[in-house]
Amino acid sequence: MENLLWGLQTTLLGMGLVFSLLALMWGLLTVALRLDQPSEPAPRAGGPEPAPAAPEPQFPPGLDEQTMAAILVATLAHRAQRRREAAPAMRSYWPGSLLYASRWVGAGRAVQNHGWRRGYR
Amino acid sequence: MIGSDTIGLLLQGLSHVTVESVVMIGLSLVLLYLGIEKGYEPLLLLPIGAGCLLANLPLSPLIAEDGMLRVLYDMGIRNELFPLLIFIGIGALTDFGPLLENPRLVLLGAAGQFGIFMTLIAALLLGFTRPEAASIGIIGAIDGPTSIYVSGLLAPHLLGPITVAAYSYMSLVPIILPPIMKGLTTKSERLVRMPYTQRAITRRTRILFPILVTVVVGTLVPFATPLIGMLMLGNLMKESGAVERLTKASAQEIANTVTLFLGLAIGSTMVGGEFLKPRTLAILFLGIVAFGVDAMAGVLFAKVLNRLSRGKVNPLIGAAGISAFPMAARVVQKVAQEEDFENFLLMHAMGANAAGQIASVVAGGVLLALMGAGGL
Repeated sequence: MENLLWGLQTTLLGMGLVFSLLALMWGLLTVALRLDQPSEPAPRAGGPEPAPAAPEPQFPPGLDEQTMAAILVATLAHRAQRRREAAPAMRSYWPGSLLYASRWVGAGRAVQNHGWRRGYR
Repeated sequence: MIGSDTIGLLLQGLSHVTVESVVMIGLSLVLLYLGIEKGYEPLLLLPIGAGCLLANLPLSPLIAEDGMLRVLYDMGIRNELFPLLIFIGIGALTDFGPLLENPRLVLLGAAGQFGIFMTLIAALLLGFTRPEAASIGIIGAIDGPTSIYVSGLLAPHLLGPITVAAYSYMSLVPIILPPIMKGLTTKSERLVRMPYTQRAITRRTRILFPILVTVVVGTLVPFATPLIGMLMLGNLMKESGAVERLTKASAQEIANTVTLFLGLAIGSTMVGGEFLKPRTLAILFLGIVAFGVDAMAGVLFAKVLNRLSRGKVNPLIGAAGISAFPMAARVVQKVAQEEDFENFLLMHAMGANAAGQIASVVAGGVLLALMGAGGL
């Protein structure tokens, strides 16, 4: 009986202390969070800031947009042609390369590379 | 010629096999099975099972005067070093952000400690002494290191069964909690949605939090200082970001090494004659009572909050007020989704769960203070 009474007292005191401590912590945390708000940029008086305008394209004098586009396409085509005709060191691919060869062509090449096989010499 | 004495020496292992040691070896195999095959807290149950096996082999030199397991026990359990080192790792791994976003959830953590004291009373009724009853009650903290720390101070001879009960039941949280949660709540309560708006927490607050908690708890409950101090040290290292190497080492290398040593040392305390007593069964029974009462108290307290807030709090999150972090929060989310797949309580449950982590440490310190223990 004495032990039971002691147990009940311990429970009351223990739970009371745990609740009080954590309630105190709740209060302190709330105060700390209120004092330490993340800083936000102050809103502008005239509403939201407008998005920055896209830069105006600059053309050389006497050339309009269409002409500039045509020159750009011609330049790219010319560069590709020069690359095809250039020395091997400048080439991206060997002349006549079938970069996107079908799987049949690919299979044929693989067979050719195994020249040591009987019947393929 | 080989004399009979020599043969006797060679066979002394066999001659010292006892029924108790055979039963304990069987128990160690069960622990190994649960850890390896079932995946129940393998990090603890495997070393505990191995320690138990090694300690119960006949004439085991490992538990002799200078045996390795005895040395591990003396260097880390007797002086409470190992649980405190593990607490640094837990602090380094725990994110208290969800709690900081909603500090009122800290009260759910307090409610989740009710099982400690109810189990204490039940243990007293079963004839345990006061320090033993308090040690058994601390299983209700549902926090392994706290259980080891408190029972190591109050009743070191019960360390083995208490630790096994605490860790075994902790791994069973997904099985123990759902029936209690469903039994104590109505369908409409489980369907309550709690909107979550992420609140920005500054780095300064995150750094101040562990310092504030340590100072407040350490001042008001000095017995809890070792526990809360180490937990918050780990968290301070994590949140400051200034000592990444130390944080990583605490959360991984040190925690892993200490977990191995801790498990082996606790396993070595499970020696036949001392462990195989009816009181071990009683402790295992009281352990599950502690878990159940904790969950019930958490859910019931959350129901009170539900009424006070006019239905804005889902009572299920009360079950996360226990300390099993983060498993309890995941169970809450799972049960809530069984009713409403689009109900996301996870962050609220994580907040309650983090509160339970702190509350269990506070409860451990309060219990030590009430028992007048703790080395002061």
